[in-house]
Amino acid sequence: MPLDYRRFNGPEDSIPYKRFTKDFVKSYDELFKELLDDKGVRKDGRALSEARSMCMFFARADMVSQAKGSAYVELRKTKVVCSVFDPREIPHQNEFSELGQIFCEVKFAPFSCPRRRRPHAPDAEEKALSVALRKALEPSVCRHMFPNYQVDVFIYILENDGACLSAAINAAGLALADAAVPMYDIITSCTVAVIGDKMFVDPTEAEEYLATTNPDTPINHGLLTLSTLSELKQISDFIQIGSMDVVSVTNAMEVLEKECEKLVPLVQKVLVANVLKCFAQRKRLEEEANEREKALNSKMEEWKKLLNAG
Amino acid sequence: MAGLLLSPTEKVFIVHGVQDDHRSDGRTNIDYRPMELETNVVSHATGSSRLRLANTDILVGVKTEIDVPTPEKPDLGKIEFYVDCSANAAPQFEGRGGEQLAIGIAKLMQAAYHSSDAFDLKQLCIFEGKQCWKIYVDILILECGGNLCDAVSMAVKAALFNTKLPSVKAALMDGGNIDLQLSDDPYDAKSLDIGTAPLLVTLCKIGDKCVVDPSAEEESCSVISVVVGVTGNPSSYSTEENVSDSAKESKFTTIEMVGSGSVAPKTLKDAMNQGMVAAKLLDKALGEALLRERQETQVKTKKHSYGFLR
Amino acid sequence: MSTEKLKETGKLCIPGMRLSLSNKEFVSGPGTYELRGYIYATLCGTLKMEQDENEVTVVSVESPRTPSILPRTGDVVTAKVTVVNPRMVQCVILCVGSSVLVRPYRGILKKEDIKATEKDRVDPYKCYRPGDVILARVLPMTEIHWYHLSTAENELGVVIATAEGSPQGISMLPISWSEMQCPKTLVKESRKVARVIPENINHALFPVKDNSTTELEIQQDT
Repeated sequence: MPLDYRRFNGPEDSIPYKRFTKDFVKSYDELFKELLDDKGVRKDGRALSEARSMCMFFARADMVSQAKGSAYVELRKTKVVCSVFDPREIPHQNEFSELGQIFCEVKFAPFSCPRRRRPHAPDAEEKALSVALRKALEPSVCRHMFPNYQVDVFIYILENDGACLSAAINAAGLALADAAVPMYDIITSCTVAVIGDKMFVDPTEAEEYLATTNPDTPINHGLLTLSTLSELKQISDFIQIGSMDVVSVTNAMEVLEKECEKLVPLVQKVLVANVLKCFAQRKRLEEEANEREKALNSKMEEWKKLLNAG
Repeated sequence: MAGLLLSPTEKVFIVHGVQDDHRSDGRTNIDYRPMELETNVVSHATGSSRLRLANTDILVGVKTEIDVPTPEKPDLGKIEFYVDCSANAAPQFEGRGGEQLAIGIAKLMQAAYHSSDAFDLKQLCIFEGKQCWKIYVDILILECGGNLCDAVSMAVKAALFNTKLPSVKAALMDGGNIDLQLSDDPYDAKSLDIGTAPLLVTLCKIGDKCVVDPSAEEESCSVISVVVGVTGNPSSYSTEENVSDSAKESKFTTIEMVGSGSVAPKTLKDAMNQGMVAAKLLDKALGEALLRERQETQVKTKKHSYGFLR
Repeated sequence: MSTEKLKETGKLCIPGMRLSLSNKEFVSGPGTYELRGYIYATLCGTLKMEQDENEVTVVSVESPRTPSILPRTGDVVTAKVTVVNPRMVQCVILCVGSSVLVRPYRGILKKEDIKATEKDRVDPYKCYRPGDVILARVLPMTEIHWYHLSTAENELGVVIATAEGSPQGISMLPISWSEMQCPKTLVKESRKVARVIPENINHALFPVKDNSTTELEIQQDT
């Protein structure tokens, strides 16, 4: 990273002040108790099996005007923008490939997380997310339509409050459909965090953090993300980390499948609304063009008359 | 595998065989090919191993260093994985060609070793909050004959089994700094507790069924494989009877999909169960082999070497 | 076309939607794909069902946006010539069929693919000049980022060209299959001229009363 040596750059390492706050020294159990109250309601008022998408799924296609297709997905505090561009030449490629490629880049905004991110080089998490996103999208796009070329998919995470991979996949699916990139099916994705026998559907960052830290007792814990192609009944990507036994993984998978299924009508609605909007826009443009043409024609008639008269 | 061409009939033959749990080389769907394993092969490493599985050749060296633990987790050590794809293995690995593959494998290993159920980082702690061991696992791919993940994870487990950390004789507090004195005696060292270290099993989807350890021909019939990381059973890695009679339940530490295809939900569930069974068998066999080798070296002071090293 | 099929036309589609059976009657067209005996949509847009002369209905999806497509083997493309040298002609592809590409793609027209006859005596300079707009057919892809083109058909070749020294915006008119003339300066130049067939030739030759409604029927099923 380039350093500005004309300024005072501060010490090389520092200790975040949060380490001295009360929250930092909390034990695992205390943190866990904070996530759920006695009635089994989560901190943000949701039930365990309630996804944020069900109440606050805000997606809008056609968001970035420069891109061919774009989408914005918001799950309460997780906010993701995606833009898709037309096929372009793959740089530094020297082998013929039958299938086109999808180039994915996930980026976190510097202010997206509690800790500041370096805005320059992509870090390991961003790289991992990019790879996961590409893997999830590959089976859904008709890649044989653009051999030797690549479609660019850029994801910018404005704010991250958990489940950012599934938000990114959902946004990318919408943006690809908006960009009229040929696709086999709609892609939907969901995340679940498992702690013990509790399953937090669509977890927040705090829930995600606890699910991936090691508990004191050997209980099931982990984070699972699943993306599906609903009409074809296929799973395009499945990622699990943590430590879980077979039963727990299978149960979580079933929950995830159901959640992904629930998302499909919402995504369909957004796409249909978008198509209608596009058609309305086209119609309006055509009408305007017709009007202009009429005006021009009448002007022409006027001039002709003048010419003939003169 | 590049350069391998199969006719449609040959592919159909393989696919049909797999459906009936019978493969062209006589194995069933959960059988591995014979492999060669040897530990303590590199003199400059703390622990090392070499594994040859069919045409895949992996050399793993473990190096240790003393480091400062992260402030968030003062009582945990560190472990890091580095994969190097040598251009000897395949010409396309030349330069940065193997980088993507190497990062992918390293990431998978890191994810599999993330949970404390898989590898307890507490055993690497020397002085809480001040000093800990940091283990560098360097994985060198000497020859690439498919099924890299499985071979790498086995070689890593063997190398960690072979690793001995010198015991700490004294620690002098000098102000805020700690001065450690390590033992010079090569026999005054403790082995790592790696019984639960995970093994990765790659399940290659062919038709509706999955196979472990696919040959190059079988790989060309498949578009996607599922990689599962499964924790090991500590009792297979210890000669003492009483260490843990109640064999710990094996758990998934990571699941990922590799390749560009998609799978049906049922196939994925079957694959996970199959991976669990295969991993248990593999873990047991690996433990037996490692214990046998350790016994042999104890009886004969000079180890009989099979491989090309030494 | 039966009324039932007409009703289907204009329906809104989204990717992965099952459109119809795939059999002798229904064939998958642009914007659709075929899987296990059914036709599915790949784009967002409206359904179109067109019957051709053999009683086969082509099912296709029309997107309100230009679909992200690339030239494919066999397509007729519109391209602009950029470089002419004795062995080949380089150009940039602007349109595929009727859809305008967002990005220009590079095309290459080899000397032997310019004309169908006397391939060895072709002089690229006498056929194309930089700036000409040509129609060409896409050949199978053999290089990574270059589309190979061919104009070895009567209907393919130069469509719009400006003579040397003529003012801009005045294009030459074809006077034979190998010559074009500028209407302003009367300069004659040699080109491989395309015999462009107007799209509405059938309409012009055999006028029929136009009763088909072009208005899109959009069913609002939201």
